[in-house]
Amino acid sequence: MDDFLAADNLSKRFDGVQAVDSVSFAIRSQEIFGLLGPNGAGKTTTIRMLSTVLAPDGGDVEIGGYSVTRESDEVRKRIGVCPQELALYPELSASDNLVFFGRMAGLSGREAKSLAADTLERVGLADRAKDAVRKYSGGMKRRVNIAIALMSRPQLLFLDEPTVGIDPQSRNHIFDTVLALRGEGMTVLYTTHYMEEADRLCDRIGVMDNGRLIALGAPAELKAQVGDPATTTLEEVFLNFTGRSLRD
Amino acid sequence: MSRAFLVALIGVKRFIADRGDLAFGIALPIALFALMTGVFGGEASFNGTAHVADLDGGRAASELLERLERVDGVSVRRYAKPDLDDALDRSAILNGFVLPAGFTASLDAGIPAEVRILRRGNGGDAAQIITAILQGIAADLASESRIRNGVAALAPDAPPQRVDAAVQRLITDARANPPVRVETQSLSEDPDDGDDFFSRLLPGMIVMFLLFSITLGAQTIVEERRNGTLERLLSTRLRPWELFAGKFLEGVGRGMLQALVFLGLAFVVLRVGGPLAFVQSAALAAIVAASASALALIIAAVARTQDQASWIAVFITMFMTVFGGTFFPVGDSGALNILSRFTLNKYAIDAFDGVISGAATLADRWAEIAVVGGAAIAGLAAARLIFRVSSEGK
Ligand SMILES: Nc1ncnc2c1ncn2[C@@H]1O[C@H](COP(=O)(O)OP(=O)(O)OP(=O)(O)O)[C@@H](O)[C@H]1O
Ligand SMILES: [Mg+2]
Repeated sequence: MDDFLAADNLSKRFDGVQAVDSVSFAIRSQEIFGLLGPNGAGKTTTIRMLSTVLAPDGGDVEIGGYSVTRESDEVRKRIGVCPQELALYPELSASDNLVFFGRMAGLSGREAKSLAADTLERVGLADRAKDAVRKYSGGMKRRVNIAIALMSRPQLLFLDEPTVGIDPQSRNHIFDTVLALRGEGMTVLYTTHYMEEADRLCDRIGVMDNGRLIALGAPAELKAQVGDPATTTLEEVFLNFTGRSLRD
Repeated sequence: MSRAFLVALIGVKRFIADRGDLAFGIALPIALFALMTGVFGGEASFNGTAHVADLDGGRAASELLERLERVDGVSVRRYAKPDLDDALDRSAILNGFVLPAGFTASLDAGIPAEVRILRRGNGGDAAQIITAILQGIAADLASESRIRNGVAALAPDAPPQRVDAAVQRLITDARANPPVRVETQSLSEDPDDGDDFFSRLLPGMIVMFLLFSITLGAQTIVEERRNGTLERLLSTRLRPWELFAGKFLEGVGRGMLQALVFLGLAFVVLRVGGPLAFVQSAALAAIVAASASALALIIAAVARTQDQASWIAVFITMFMTVFGGTFFPVGDSGALNILSRFTLNKYAIDAFDGVISGAATLADRWAEIAVVGGAAIAGLAAARLIFRVSSEGK
């Protein structure tokens, strides 16, 4: 399989903190790649660099054959980003939010409207499309946050903790959506603190700690490194690699 | 470029969608405008009540009171004499006019008749004005009565009805063609002689509200930087300069929304000038809005939190409003004048002077406009250098 994303020696330092430290990995086309790690491990910083909004101090990334640092315009045409925070306009309706970000992704007004309607249908918000997002429940807001990322019809989708603080129904709905998107040819980078979620969704997993990538492989491979793959949980794998001390 | 407009549009849409913002941004200025025009502007017409006890009750007394009541802004309230005295005693009223018994008879007989004026203190402005009006009416009545008596004396055989008719005709004629015509001319058209309301307070308010609403918009930029929408936008095809331009235009748009409401009211309610004056005033407002929007971008770049942004915005706006000559003239020299030169408001208010009433054109105000426009350009250049979409990033 082709690599759709290849990160090479990516580094970023914030005053005094080495947030990301020489990270290299690849994501294959149509793969769901899980990026795990304790708080402050550097997952979000990595995604910000992959999605062209933060310049790396060192290293580079190729996405779809284009360099994130030198050909960021081409990269942006191919990606969709769902940030960890709810980055949307709460005063406006879900529909207005989606149409706006669709226009920003280069769609015409008509294309944006039609894709917004389809996308809201897909995330189960069609009947509340005209309501202000401010009035939504936490789970619904999360789904709008994801839906916005889909408005660029991305080949590579970044989902940074898309399931924080939501009920099992919304969570399952999001899983189904992610799996369906992959079925349609999308490549996904997914971060989460829920290990069973990563176990269920991800084809391969990278574990980060203190800015470094310390383990990489399919869930079964990682489990085998720790114990019996049939009985070991991903949580045990995670704690085994990252230790039990508190972070942040 | 069209994406920059879309960014601006979504910002203005958010402003309108937020009822609180809309209330503070539009409704409050309108309320203040109404208050100010009530206090300072509009037809500042006289209003007063004459408190009268008519002890005569005759023809001439009634005629006098009727004429008094017909004067614009004067109303007449009738009292029994004891009630009038009582009200004056309690200081419930400050003036009282008494028409003594025999008023009509004296007038008809050509003997001096008398109106007694009772006052508490000087009776207030109203009492003095009403007294003057009353004296005028009484003098008219006296001359009419004298003419009537004179004519009757010249033609003792003529039937009284004919004398009355002839006198009435003369009086009506004299009223229609008064020997001395008094004409009132409004001088507020003249820019240099304009009254404070139109030349300073109204423009001052417009500039103040533009500054307030636009610089307070810096908050929303800080908020967007914090919640990640700005950064999210940069992962789309929107270019950084388009985002910057969009945020600049958003400020101008929000300010113009307010300025147009304010100017619209001024032109419709107060009829300050014609359509051309309106268009020129709106164009001027846009230039002021541009410099305010550049300032907002600088504030947003400097502030770390929303609170900081709003405090900086309030401080700068208040400083420039007060020292820019909104509420009092800054004079031609002295410390205040020097201070005022560091405010946007001074130049903006001077630029509006006369333009609102249509007495001056934008071309007449080129120097002030150049300063305000120059501030916008310099501010934009500075803001572009320090504009940031996240605490660490582009
Ligand atoms: N803008 C910033 N300025 C300074 N330090 C930062 C900044 N952003 C992140 N850091 C630091 O970089 C490190 C990595 O942060 P990052 O947000 O990438 O972690 P994360 O893995 O996403 O954590 P979490 O699971 O809590 O979201 C942390 O130590 C954090 O404090
Ligand atoms: Mg994170």
